[in-house]
Amino acid sequence: MLAAVRAPLQRRYRQWLARRMPASRQQRLTQQRIFILPTRYGLFFLLIAALLFLGGINYENNLIMALSFLMTSLFMIAILHTFRNLAGLLVRAGQLEPGHAGAEGALEILLHADDRHPHLSLWLRWPGGPVEEVSVLPGEEKSVWLRLPLKRRGRVHPGRLHIESRYPLGLLRAWSQLDMAHPALAWPRAAPSEFCPASGGDAEQGLQHTRLAGSDDFQGLRSYQPGDPPRMVDWKAYARGRGLHSKYFADPAEGWLWLDWAMMPGVDPETRLSRLTWWVLQLEQKNQRYGLRLPGAELPPGLGPEQQRQALDLLALYGEEVA
Amino acid sequence: MARVYQVPHHAFGWLVAGTFMAALPHLIHGPLWLRILLPATVLGRILIQRGRLPMPGRVLRVILLGGVLLGTLYTHGTVLGPDAGTCLLVAAFALKLLEMVRLRDAYVLLVLGYFVLATTFLFYQGPIASLYVLLSMLCLTAALPGINHPEAGARAWRHFRLALVMLLQAVPLMLLLFVLVPRISPLWSLEFSQERSRTGMSDSMAPGEVSHLSQSRELAFRVEFEGAVPPPAARYWRGLTYAWFDGRRWSQARPQEISQADYVWFPASPQPRPDWAATLVAARDEAAARGPVYRYRVVQEPSRRNWLYALAVPFADDTRLGLVRDLRLVSREELNQRRDYRVTSYPALRSSMPMSPADEAISLQLPEGFNPRAREMARRWYREAGSAEAYANRLLRWFREESFYYTLEPPLLGEHTVDEFLFGSRRGFCEHYASAFAFMMRAAGVPARIVAGYQGGELNPVGNHLRVHQYHAHAWTEIWLPGSGWVEVDPTAAVAPSRIEMGPEAALQDDPLADFQGIMRDLPWLQQLSNRFDYVQFIWQKWVLDYDESSQLSLLQRWLGDVSPARIGMALAAGAAVLLMPVALWVLLRRRGPGRTPMQREYRAMLKQLRGRGLVLSDDLPPRRLVREAGGQWPAARPVLKKWGRAFEESVYGGQAGTSLRALRRYRRQLRWLRGARGGQHVSPG
Amino acid sequence: MEKVQRALARVGKVVLGKNEQIRLAVACLLARGHLLIEDLPGMGKTTLAHALARIFSLDYQRVQFTSDMLPADILGVSLFNADTREFVLRKGPVFTQLLLADEINRATPKTQSALLEAMEERQVTLDGDTYPLPLPFFVVATQNPVEQGGTFPLPESQLDRFLMRISLGYPSPEAELALLAAGDLRAEALDLTPALTVDELQQVMQAVEQVHASTDLLGYLQRLLEHSRSSGLFQAGLSPRAGLGMLRAARAWALLGGRNYVIPEDIQAVLVPVCEHRLQPVAGGAARGAAGRLLEAVPVVP
Repeated sequence: MLAAVRAPLQRRYRQWLARRMPASRQQRLTQQRIFILPTRYGLFFLLIAALLFLGGINYENNLIMALSFLMTSLFMIAILHTFRNLAGLLVRAGQLEPGHAGAEGALEILLHADDRHPHLSLWLRWPGGPVEEVSVLPGEEKSVWLRLPLKRRGRVHPGRLHIESRYPLGLLRAWSQLDMAHPALAWPRAAPSEFCPASGGDAEQGLQHTRLAGSDDFQGLRSYQPGDPPRMVDWKAYARGRGLHSKYFADPAEGWLWLDWAMMPGVDPETRLSRLTWWVLQLEQKNQRYGLRLPGAELPPGLGPEQQRQALDLLALYGEEVA
Repeated sequence: MARVYQVPHHAFGWLVAGTFMAALPHLIHGPLWLRILLPATVLGRILIQRGRLPMPGRVLRVILLGGVLLGTLYTHGTVLGPDAGTCLLVAAFALKLLEMVRLRDAYVLLVLGYFVLATTFLFYQGPIASLYVLLSMLCLTAALPGINHPEAGARAWRHFRLALVMLLQAVPLMLLLFVLVPRISPLWSLEFSQERSRTGMSDSMAPGEVSHLSQSRELAFRVEFEGAVPPPAARYWRGLTYAWFDGRRWSQARPQEISQADYVWFPASPQPRPDWAATLVAARDEAAARGPVYRYRVVQEPSRRNWLYALAVPFADDTRLGLVRDLRLVSREELNQRRDYRVTSYPALRSSMPMSPADEAISLQLPEGFNPRAREMARRWYREAGSAEAYANRLLRWFREESFYYTLEPPLLGEHTVDEFLFGSRRGFCEHYASAFAFMMRAAGVPARIVAGYQGGELNPVGNHLRVHQYHAHAWTEIWLPGSGWVEVDPTAAVAPSRIEMGPEAALQDDPLADFQGIMRDLPWLQQLSNRFDYVQFIWQKWVLDYDESSQLSLLQRWLGDVSPARIGMALAAGAAVLLMPVALWVLLRRRGPGRTPMQREYRAMLKQLRGRGLVLSDDLPPRRLVREAGGQWPAARPVLKKWGRAFEESVYGGQAGTSLRALRRYRRQLRWLRGARGGQHVSPG
Repeated sequence: MEKVQRALARVGKVVLGKNEQIRLAVACLLARGHLLIEDLPGMGKTTLAHALARIFSLDYQRVQFTSDMLPADILGVSLFNADTREFVLRKGPVFTQLLLADEINRATPKTQSALLEAMEERQVTLDGDTYPLPLPFFVVATQNPVEQGGTFPLPESQLDRFLMRISLGYPSPEAELALLAAGDLRAEALDLTPALTVDELQQVMQAVEQVHASTDLLGYLQRLLEHSRSSGLFQAGLSPRAGLGMLRAARAWALLGGRNYVIPEDIQAVLVPVCEHRLQPVAGGAARGAAGRLLEAVPVVP
C-alpha cells in the first residue's frame, strides 16, 4: 500500500532532481543545489525554546523569554552558518578504482574550497556505500575515495553523490545530491578454467600455449650470466664448489599469447569474460606476455600493470556503449 | 558494556564548563545533596573520559536516579512545582553527564543545558546573573561545533570564537523578538511555594518580645523621582498601620463597622467609590496648591506581601493597586515578582481625610489592666498641657531630655511593656518609642496609631533615585489632631535625631558590612562605582524585567502607531529581514582567493592605463613581456615603460624592498603626459 | 656563471640550432632533475647527452634498453665470492654520474621500474643492502614517440619521475646545412673540453637552490597548479611534486638567465617541458599544447 504510493513519489522526486541538478563532472554547490532542514536535535532545541517561551509567559519572566528568543535567533543564524559550510564548494569527479563485479570499487571525488573559509566535517557517500568524512580548508583541494559495491560487470552508475554537513551546531543539516556523471567500472568476476583460451603463441619464437601451465617449472641449470637475479643462482651448488650456475626456468618473456574470445565456442558471454579475466590475472602473475581479442576490440600483447589494467577494462566494457 | 563515547578532547572542556556553569547557580540555593552530586558527576565524567573509571552500569544508574527522586521528595516534599522541578531537573542533568554513551547523549545534555540555564532566571534576575547565563550559554554553544567536528586537529578556542560570533549575530534578532513578540497573560497560574521567606515588614509588632533587631542590607525598593526629591526628614514610606493593641502586640485592624468596600478603594473597580475617597480626590488640586506634590516611580522587590510603600496620600496609576482608608497602597495579589508602579503623593491631603466614629474608636482602643503608671502619667500630663499638641510636644521633650537611649539590642520587657520601658529600661529602638508614644496618646484620649514602613533611603546621584534597604525599616506614630488630620510624629527622632537625618548606618556597628561601608565612604570612586552599578540595576529593572504587556503596548504605539497583529507581524518580518541581511551577506558572500596587494593593484592599473591608450594586451603577460609588447605598440613610451618594468620586477620578484610604490606611480604618471601610441586609435569592433 | 654560459655555447657547437633545448637540458640538470628526450632516431639525442657529460666532466654510461633486459643488468648484482666467502656487489651501469638510457620504452615494465626507482631514490637496494648512487646523478632517457611493436610506453605515474620532457625535432634549414657541412658531430661531442669541474657543477647546483622566489611568484605558480586542477581541461591536475619541480626548473632557468631571482617568464619558459608529460587532457583535448593553454588562462598578476 505504502510502496504503491511511495514509488511514484520517489520517481517524481528523481525526475525533479534531474531537472534541477543535471549530471556534470564538475559542479559547484550553489543555492539551488543545497537543501537544508533541521535535524532531530534541532527540533529538540526548538522544542526547548518553545517550552521556555511558555514558561516565560507563565512566570511573567522576561529573562526566560529572552533566553528563548536568543535560542530561536541562534537557530536562525545557524541556518546561515550551516549553509555556508557547504556552499561554494567545488565538487569534481576524479579518478576511479575499478573492482571485480561482486566486490567493491571506489570513485574519487575532489572537493575544492576556492573561497576564504573552511568547509568542515562534510559527509560523503554513494547510495548504499559507506560514509567518508572530510574537511576542506580554504584554498585546499581534498581527494576522497568513496567505496561502493559493484553488483554487475560494466559501467556502474553509482547514483547521486550525497554530500551532507551538520557543522557547526548540528542543529541543521545541509545536503546536496549531485549526479557526478562519474560511473564506476566493474571488471568481470574471475572464473578459473582449466583450458587457456589462447591462440597461437608467437610464430617467430615457437612458444606453444600448451607449455604454459608449467611455465614456472624448473627446467635445469645453466651457467651464470651477468644480470641473472641472485635468487636464481644455485648457491648450494656454488658452495659445493661446482661454480656459479643459475637455475633455469621456462623463460616467460620469450613470446606472447592471444587470449581470444573466439576460443570458447558455445559458452555464454559472461562466462567467457569471466574466464578471460581469470587468465589475464594468471598470465600477469606468471610474467607471460599476452594480448586480448574480443569481438570488435583488440589489445596488442604486452605485460605489466598497465597491460593488465587495459585488458581488464576492455573486458569490463565488452558490449557496453563507448562513453 | 557499550563502548564509551569519547567526546573530542577539544570539545570536552566546553562541554564540562558549559554543563557545570549551567547547573552552578542551583547549587547555591539547592539542597546539600545536590551540591555534592554535581561536582561528583563532573569529576566522574572527567575520569571516565580519561579511561580511569568504567561507565556506570544500568543498576547504578537506576539507583542514582532513584536517589535523586527521593532526595527531591525529602527536600521539597514533592517532585512537582518549580522549586522541586528545578531541583530534579538539575539533578537529572548532572546524572546525564555520567551516562553519556553516544553522540546523541551529548546533544541531549547540551540542549537540556539551555533549559537548566533558563531556570536560573527563576531565582536570579539581575544584570550580573544574566551576564553569567550568557557566558554559560557561550560555553554550551562552543561545545556544539566541538562535537560536530570529530577531527583531532581542531582547536578548542576556535569553537569558542565561532560560538561568540554566532551569539553576537543572534543578539540583535533576539532584541527584536524581545521587543515585538506580543506578551500574553499567563496561560495558567503558577505560584512559588509559600515557604520562601518573606522579608520586610510583618503585619504586627511586639516591641517587648524582640531583643535583637536584625537588619539586613537587602534592597526593599527603589524610587525614581520625577522632579523634586523630598528632604530626608520627609521620606516616610508608609507601608501599613497598626491600630489594635492587646497590651503586648500591635496589629493591623479594620474596624468591624467598616465594610471591605469602604475600607479599600480600587479606582478601576466597578464598585462605587467610597465617600472618603471621593473627598480626597476632590481635594487633590487644592492640596497641590497648599503643599508639595511628589511624582515618583517605585520599583518594589518581591516581598510576598500585598502592601506597598509610598509617601503619604498616594495615588497610583496601576489598576491592580488600591488606596486604603489609612492612606496607604495595597495590591490585589502578593508581590512574588518585582513590580514597579507610578505614584503621585499629596502630603497636604492628610488634613482632608475625614474621621469617622469607627476609626476614632479603634484609634483610642486600649486593653484594660496594662501599664497603670503610664496611664496615670498620661492623664496627668494631658490635663497640665491643655491641648493634644502641647501634650505631644511635652512627651517628645521628655524623651529627648531624659536618659532614653536608641539601641538595636534592648532588654526584654515583662507584662507591662510600656511602664517598664518608660520608667525602667529606657533603652529601645523605633518600635519601643512608637509603641510607648502611641500608648501615651491613646491613654490621654488622643487618637493615635503606629505606622510601619521605611524611613529615608540613599540617594543615588547617578540615576536620581533612592535605594531603600531593609535596614531603613522603621515604625513611627500618627496622631489625629482636629483641623490637621493625621499628623506624623516620630518619637525615635526625639531620641536619636541622627537616625532620621543621616540614616540608620550609625546604629549598624554590629553589621559585618558596616566596615565595608566605612571603606566605601573613604573611597569615593568605590562609592561612585557602587552608585553606577545600582543605576545599571535600576535601568535593567525598568527596561528589561518590567517590560510587560502595557509597556510593550505603549512602546509599540509610539513606533507603529496602530497596534494590530498584522502590524506586529510585518514589523517582525521587516525587522528580521533588516537584521539578518548583513549577517547573511557576511556569511554567504563568497570571497574568492586572497585580496590584491598594492603592487598587484599597481600592475592592474598599468594594464588598464595602457589598454585605455588603445594597446592590445592580454592578461597572461609577465612584466617584461608586457613592457616589450607595449613598447612595440607604443614606441614613445618605451623608455619609461622599461624603467617601470624593471622597478616592478625588482620589487615584486627580486625581493628588494627598496623600490617604492611611489616610484612606480611616478613612471605611470609620466606615461599619461606622453602622446598616444597610434594617436589613440585602436581597433574597435563594428 | 660565465663558465656555465661557456658550456652552453660549446654544446651549441655540436648540437646545432637547438639552443633552446640545450638550455632546457642544462637547466634540468642544474635543477637536479632527470631528463626525458622524446624523438625519432637520429635527431641528435645521443650527441646531446654525450656533450652534456663531457662539458660537465661527468662519468658517463650508456645503456641501450632491450626487451630481454633484466633489472640486474642495470642495477647490478651481489655475488658470492668464494675466496673471501662473502657477497660482493657487482655494480651495474647505473652507478655513474650521467646515465644515458637509450630507448627506455623497449625494456619490460619491471626493468623500467627498477631504473625509475633508482632515479627517484638516488640509491640502489640489492638483497637488502642499500648502495648510494654517485653525486651528482642524472639520467637522460630517450624514448621513441612512435608506438612500435614490442615497446612498453612509460606509464603516466612513472613519467612523473622525469623533471622535463623535451624533444629536439628536425633541425632548421640553416642548422641542417651546417650539420651537413660539418659531418658527424658525435665524435666532436666526445672531444669537447670540459667547461666545469664536478665541484664547480655542484656549486652551481647549490646556487640554483639559493635563487629567490618571491611570494608573488609563488602565488602565480600556485594559481597555475590550481587552474590545472579546477579548469576541467585535464583528467587530473598537476601534483604538488610537479609544482616543486617547476619551481626548481624555473630557478635554474633564472640562473641561466643571469638573475638571482625568479620572474614569471622563467615559469613560463619551463612550464611546457615540465608539465606536458604530466597532464592528460580530457577526452577530445589535444595532448600537445594543453599546457600552453594553461598559461593563457592564468593571469600573471591577479
